[in-house]
Amino acid sequence: MARSVWKGPFVDGYLLNKAEASRASSRNEIIKIWSRRSTILPQFVGLTFGVYNGHKFLPVQVTENMVGHKFGEFSPTRTFTGHSADKKAKRG
Amino acid sequence: MARIAGVNIPTNKRVTISLRYIYGIGPKKAQDICTQLGIPDDRRVNQLSDDEVLRIRELIDREFRVEGDLRREVAMNIKRLMDLGCYRGLRHRRGLPVRGQRTHTNARTRKGKAVAIAGKKKVTK
Repeated sequence: MARSVWKGPFVDGYLLNKAEASRASSRNEIIKIWSRRSTILPQFVGLTFGVYNGHKFLPVQVTENMVGHKFGEFSPTRTFTGHSADKKAKRG
Repeated sequence: MARIAGVNIPTNKRVTISLRYIYGIGPKKAQDICTQLGIPDDRRVNQLSDDEVLRIRELIDREFRVEGDLRREVAMNIKRLMDLGCYRGLRHRRGLPVRGQRTHTNARTRKGKAVAIAGKKKVTK
């Protein structure tokens, strides 16, 4: 179910401070964040975030299209390399 | 024969039924169109006057996105997700269920017909 509009988008507050600080320093460094649950806001556009996936910080360059999605959507937590069908075929 | 919204030619069924042959028009919208134009439920398509057919055509053109336009919109939405590199886009790319369904079993609609694993031993008896 969609979130109520009157609540506004969910963002962990400290992200705003971090984004602002990085804007002020005007260096394009990766902002490391753990908050995968936060919504991407318009003021994050253009910044690069390192979104933690439980293993490492994956760099996510925020574009305009990403606004409204969550950070976690861009940092997959599972690795699946596919089934090794060929090996099994040879053995059988 | 009545041509509404391009290629669709519904037959001698009731209007509310045959309108659903148009991509993008389901039970609700078909019913809405009929009530809005004052077409009774039991009227069949071949009993419609030319004027009524014209009014249906105009109403659909004005209010709804159907057929090619709608298909294009849906395809664009999926393409946007795929280009974005978000989780839903990845699932679309791999042809797996997008909304968190299980894939251990089932999910055959998305994954297509089951492929036998070569060399897997059959359970006897």
